[in-house]
Amino acid sequence: MRDPAPWLILFPLIWASLAFLRGQGRGGRLAVAGLTIQLVLAALLAEQIASDGARSYTVGGWGAPLGIDLYADGLAGVLLLLTQIVALPLVVYARAYFAIHPDGISYFWPLTGYLLAAMNALFLSADIFNIYVTLELLGLTAVGLVAAGGGAGPVGAALRYLLVTLLGSGAFLLGVALVYGTYGSMSLQVLTPLINADAPAAVFIAAGLMLVGLLLKTALFPFHFWLPPAHGGAPAPVSALLSALVVKASFYLILRLWLHAFAPLVTTVAAQLLGFLGMAAILWGSVMAIRQTRLKMLIAYSTVAQVGYLFLLFPLITDTNPAAAASALQGGVMQLVAHALAKAAMFAAAGTIILSIGRDDITRLGGVSTRLPLTLFTFALAGLTLAGLPPSGGFIAKWLLITGASGSDQWGWVVVMISGGLLSAAYVCRVLRQAFLSIEAGTKFSPVSRVLEWSAFLLASMSLLLGLRSTEVLGLLESE
Amino acid sequence: MKGVLDLLVIVLCLVLGAALWWAMLDLPSSRIHLAEQVAAKLDASGVTHPVTAVLLNFRGYDTLIEVMVLFVALIGMLTQAEKGSQWLSAGYRPPPLPAPPFHLEVLQWLARVLVPLMILTAGYLLWAGAHRAGGAFQAAALLAGAGVLLNLAGLLPAWTTFRAGMRAGSITGLLFFVLAAAATAAAPHGHLLQYPAGWAGMLILLIETGLTLSLGLILAGFFLLLSAEASDGSDTEE
Repeated sequence: MRDPAPWLILFPLIWASLAFLRGQGRGGRLAVAGLTIQLVLAALLAEQIASDGARSYTVGGWGAPLGIDLYADGLAGVLLLLTQIVALPLVVYARAYFAIHPDGISYFWPLTGYLLAAMNALFLSADIFNIYVTLELLGLTAVGLVAAGGGAGPVGAALRYLLVTLLGSGAFLLGVALVYGTYGSMSLQVLTPLINADAPAAVFIAAGLMLVGLLLKTALFPFHFWLPPAHGGAPAPVSALLSALVVKASFYLILRLWLHAFAPLVTTVAAQLLGFLGMAAILWGSVMAIRQTRLKMLIAYSTVAQVGYLFLLFPLITDTNPAAAASALQGGVMQLVAHALAKAAMFAAAGTIILSIGRDDITRLGGVSTRLPLTLFTFALAGLTLAGLPPSGGFIAKWLLITGASGSDQWGWVVVMISGGLLSAAYVCRVLRQAFLSIEAGTKFSPVSRVLEWSAFLLASMSLLLGLRSTEVLGLLESE
Repeated sequence: MKGVLDLLVIVLCLVLGAALWWAMLDLPSSRIHLAEQVAAKLDASGVTHPVTAVLLNFRGYDTLIEVMVLFVALIGMLTQAEKGSQWLSAGYRPPPLPAPPFHLEVLQWLARVLVPLMILTAGYLLWAGAHRAGGAFQAAALLAGAGVLLNLAGLLPAWTTFRAGMRAGSITGLLFFVLAAAATAAAPHGHLLQYPAGWAGMLILLIETGLTLSLGLILAGFFLLLSAEASDGSDTEE
């Protein structure tokens, strides 16, 4: 296939539809087969981008502005590859998970397929209305996955998530309408020079609305309120997909619009504000994570904190010297990749522990170290990445971010990053300490399948080894 | 506290509204006129109505994802509706409809007359979409409306689940659209949803026919699945 791009969208749509045809709980094998092909396609596309530079694809053969274009540069290539790499072990994990815990499966497989189609379409889109449509599909599938999970708690969380995601896409759509009204086009390629030439007040309002809508979906402090109950209450494979990948999709859009189409509109004040919100997210999310009593809620609050790191990027890339900005951008993308791998591993490991002991209390984890050593090791490795210890991907990310901050003389952010790392170590160690205690009376460990343990371990070891292979990732990111 | 929050929301909305109003007042006229481009390429689109040309050809890819959004909304409802697992057991049949009270008899008579006409009109709207306002979405809305009317008149029981036939019906039209898109992308020198020359009109009609049937079921499902929950609630109260 000359162009893998459209197939990355079509394949998940096809296997998700076939999985739905087969009914509730069916389609796991289809998902594994489909994702294997998608991984090959994403690798193919990444290789094409790395060797020939950014690629565009004209849907329908019309070309922008009449038709819709797809566009894949280095950043899109990294995210497409990351999505398939994280999702493949997760669907293998999910098959084993739902074999033990069939209650929550419902339409997990078709919803996951549509979710992946939406993510791939979003990363590839170069048209702001088309981006809105992919955001809608992504939001609804994510809400469906949370709602399918079970009792009243997850349904309540799903409903709140639905309202937030609709408000977010509504704000984004209002922005799209204003931009279209101003310039008469929705294609990013057409809009970029027009915005550069002249931007009336309406475009500033549009950019603000789109930013706020996307911040809601990314769950940046103070818009994080919906995330912990939704991510913490869903079944473990769903939590992993949502925390590792879905919040990154809206962040990717913010970054892409910030760097390219809306670059003439961005101001240092806005960048500093995003940085301060990121700092607040790191501190608040970490402190809340330390205070949680339930394991999955702790991991969900850790996502709130880790999302904060991504936003430290903006003060470092806006109106700073090019070398510092380049280093910070690399650090931000590495943080995104490392967190996706580590958080997927962590939720998967937590799911295995909960399946085995049937409980979610952190204080009742005694004995996990002897009964589930591999899973606990997985959790610890993922924790290493979150805390940013060498040689993990998280370490490289923080190193590059700190280089960016020192290169642009913004030492305050360095303090935030280092204290955030210490706080992450604190909440990870809290879990580990409990797990090393002896087995409490009344705790029974039921056996779990090896697939559960090894698929999570694979994700965690990738997050660790990412530190050693970071040049490949950064090389792909640089391809323009 | 709640009063302060409400006030804050109201003030924020007013500020946003005022800002939008002020920004719209001096909106420059855009230099790109998509309507002209649509008109210029209309002959190549396979249909003569510009809206259909945009929805199914120029921006057909948006429509492909948009119908998936509707479908995912249906799956979301099914995950809730099918939670009571009694409906999934093979032997379960919905209870027979009770004899209608007198006031429903008129409605039933009316529904029996109207529904065939609604189906006929849906077929016409689908066909008309090629050259005037109409098309798959409108036709599907009418089909779903017919389903709602039958349910309200007590002629069609509420849906509690989607069995294999219903699942097939609700996805086939969408899947056909996806497969048609895949075929165009796989064609030599073809692009995603680039209809081969001369085939555009026929393919659009086929895709719209499939979409009408599937979207009709999906939209009807939105009402009929909720209607099952409503009648469930009243049962427990009695």
